[in-house]
Amino acid sequence: MADFTAEVFQNEFLPDGGTDVHAIVRITSTGASAASASGALADPGSAAEVILIDTSGSMGRRGVAAAGEAAKAALAEIVDGTLFSIVAGNGTAQIVYPYSHQGALVAMSSHTRGEASRAIEGLRANGGTAMGTWLTLARQIFETVPHVTKRHAILLTDGVNEGETPQSLQAAVRSCVGVFQCDCRGVGDQWRVDEVRGIASALLGSVDLIPAPEEMAAEFQSMMRASMSRGVASSELRVWVPQGAELLFVKQVSPTLEDLTPRRTVVNPLTGAYPTGAWSDETRDYHVAVRLPARTLGQEQLAARVQLSLGGDPVAQGLVKAKWSNDDSLTTRIDPAVAAYTGQAELATTIQEGLAAKAAGQDDVATAKLGRAVQLAGLTGNDEMTTRLKKVVDIDDVDTGTVRLKKGASKIDELSLDTASTKTSRVRR
Amino acid sequence: MTDFPTAGAPDPAPVSTDDRRQGEARDELPPRQCPACGTPNPADSSFCEACGADLVVTARASAGADPGATEATGPGSGDGPVMASAAPQTAPAGEESPLDVGWTGAVPVAPEAAADDELMCHACGQGRIVDGYCDHCGTPPPNPRDHFVESPAPWVGGVCDIGRRHTRNEDAMALSATEAPGSRAVLVVCDGVSMASDSHIASLAAATEARAVLDQPFARGVGTPDAWAATAGRALTTAVTRANEAVIAAVVEDVPNPPSCTFAAAVVEDGVVVAGNVGDSRVYWLPDSDQEPAVQLGRDDSFAQEQMVAGVPRLEAETGPHAHSITRWLGKDAPDDLTPHLTTMTATAGWLLVCSDGLWNYCSEAEALRALLHGVAAGTDGTDGTDGTDGTDGTDGTDGTDRATPTVLAQALVDFANEQGGRDNITVALARLAGRGSTTTSEPAATTAPVEGDRADG
Repeated sequence: MADFTAEVFQNEFLPDGGTDVHAIVRITSTGASAASASGALADPGSAAEVILIDTSGSMGRRGVAAAGEAAKAALAEIVDGTLFSIVAGNGTAQIVYPYSHQGALVAMSSHTRGEASRAIEGLRANGGTAMGTWLTLARQIFETVPHVTKRHAILLTDGVNEGETPQSLQAAVRSCVGVFQCDCRGVGDQWRVDEVRGIASALLGSVDLIPAPEEMAAEFQSMMRASMSRGVASSELRVWVPQGAELLFVKQVSPTLEDLTPRRTVVNPLTGAYPTGAWSDETRDYHVAVRLPARTLGQEQLAARVQLSLGGDPVAQGLVKAKWSNDDSLTTRIDPAVAAYTGQAELATTIQEGLAAKAAGQDDVATAKLGRAVQLAGLTGNDEMTTRLKKVVDIDDVDTGTVRLKKGASKIDELSLDTASTKTSRVRR
Repeated sequence: MTDFPTAGAPDPAPVSTDDRRQGEARDELPPRQCPACGTPNPADSSFCEACGADLVVTARASAGADPGATEATGPGSGDGPVMASAAPQTAPAGEESPLDVGWTGAVPVAPEAAADDELMCHACGQGRIVDGYCDHCGTPPPNPRDHFVESPAPWVGGVCDIGRRHTRNEDAMALSATEAPGSRAVLVVCDGVSMASDSHIASLAAATEARAVLDQPFARGVGTPDAWAATAGRALTTAVTRANEAVIAAVVEDVPNPPSCTFAAAVVEDGVVVAGNVGDSRVYWLPDSDQEPAVQLGRDDSFAQEQMVAGVPRLEAETGPHAHSITRWLGKDAPDDLTPHLTTMTATAGWLLVCSDGLWNYCSEAEALRALLHGVAAGTDGTDGTDGTDGTDGTDGTDGTDRATPTVLAQALVDFANEQGGRDNITVALARLAGRGSTTTSEPAATTAPVEGDRADG
């Protein structure tokens, strides 16, 4: 059984008239990855996996072959007893395996793993890309097993979703929210990060770049391994704020940046719930910001109660407090974790805006934004991001953020910078 | 709950169930959770390590309501058929008696309502206290250390308040009094030095220790006023010494700023008053009659006082840059000479006031303080529901000071200081003395001249 703990990092002291409380709530789960440890599902049929493979014409023979190898690597990671299905997608979507007489999903065993591998051999590149249809089929597959609580999909694409309207894709994504989680991977340099990020973000999954087809197998293996280790099916973050307070935002800030604010569902007038998806043994940090009516000096107030809730039962709780003080040495301190994550969030936004401006041909805006990003990365000592930025811009001066757009910057480097922007480094205490 | 009367119950059934319950209760005891801030503390703690709340007082208060609630409501919870004939019966609230068969203790009236009330939020009235905060408005329940009231007798009362600007109440107060007006009272006020750590714990330890010492009646000696003054002076000096030891013992760790506090105490015994102080907490005598001057008994150990002695006007000295620096205090780094400034006097009709600088910062002159007291007394309606009998001798005060209870007036003075800004913690303790009407041991002639007696112990 998984154990969850919550820690709060904040400066609870507010100056006279101060209203905004920021806190990082760190939630850590242990003992959640019971399933992978035993090698077989403790409770057969309690988890379901769908692998969505792009078989559009742009993938080509080599791409589809590599995707097939990747799917097989993923199959090797799926523990016996897990229900699974493989879907090939182009302008439409079809189930490659299990065969039609077996139903939409079949339990993993050495026999079905072998059959699935042979079915994958038959995949051919052909047609366009309409990811909405793939997701819709995945949803229909998962809906055949309503009793299965842990539902996960892997989506692989290599191109722009030109086979349907953006509205149609959005509608499909919306219909899948809450039905299953989806990790998305883009291969090559012809796909659009914002499009795929939209899918992954809404479906509580990750998004990343696979630069070359040969690297797909390793990526699929690690993605599926991670999914198998998630022993806690689904949970939600519950945030209570006092009467009269305003919840400014709730963001996941580690391991990746994800603004949860718009995903709020109402538990009661003072409490909102935000889906977190499945948990393995891991640590996630959330940034909660609350605006309170200022109280008189010396007063104290609970600013927020942040709980991780499994099936409605709180399993971990962090209390965010506010105390008004006239002691400047207390009130002027900014908590290091809050400061660091605020900086990382600004860096991510700046990079994404800069790359979007560059793609739109607004070179002056792009230069300014990416220059600011270089400056922020320098200030926060984020060397990894500085290295990635260097591949897109020539840096004249880190401190002032003076940069020039690189003439021959490769598309892959831009994609890589974009996908990496939302990955944060954990703030240590 | 260990002294709950179950041991002598006539049949074993309630004993066994109670034993079990007490066992459970003992299991819950070790981490003594602070009712104010929720911090777990070691079971033997007297004060919360986090917020300084008095755990003993609150534990005693809740022990008064809880055990009765749980133990009186469980008649014979299936402890076997043998006991069926002697199943504990509980009389209606108020009619129970130890002579009842299977008496299980007094039944508190509506114990559940009382328990609910404790959990209700006092700030918004809509939420309940969960994890130490209201689940509706987020306000923690008031820290009992931040504001407390003592009314040991109708003629003695005081209020200790955090004020408006400080985050912790480092003032402390300890009062005691016997019922008959003017008979015997002890008023102690200690002001923790805010530069030091844990001064709120130290000051309360000092005040309660001093009260314990001064609660012992003074030896009569040969019965002369001089003999009494000498005994009383020795008792006060002893109280300071013991309070000092309590301050040192309050915090065991070797901290860079060991806690320290001031000391001001007054003892009334049959209409005679002895007052003593160390530091800048004060005792005032504020007689009713305008014919008699209002005076501060004793003097401050402060930089301001030294300046006044050197000729600087009071207002200037008390508002100067180091006005609040004290020259003597109780604590580990206290000066060697802790002899209090002692005064003995026989009281006429009037008010004995012991306070911290949280009050006199806003009204320092004794005459001004008397006027203020009479002013707030005229402003209060004089009734706080306790039907204050203060032993007035019939002299018709033109204001309300002989009708308002000490606690109501003390609160009014605290309110005044808060309205002025409440920059410091505020403590006001008052004793109403009625002069000749109730004092028999003193001669009227001796009443007008308070005697400064620094060497009374010698």
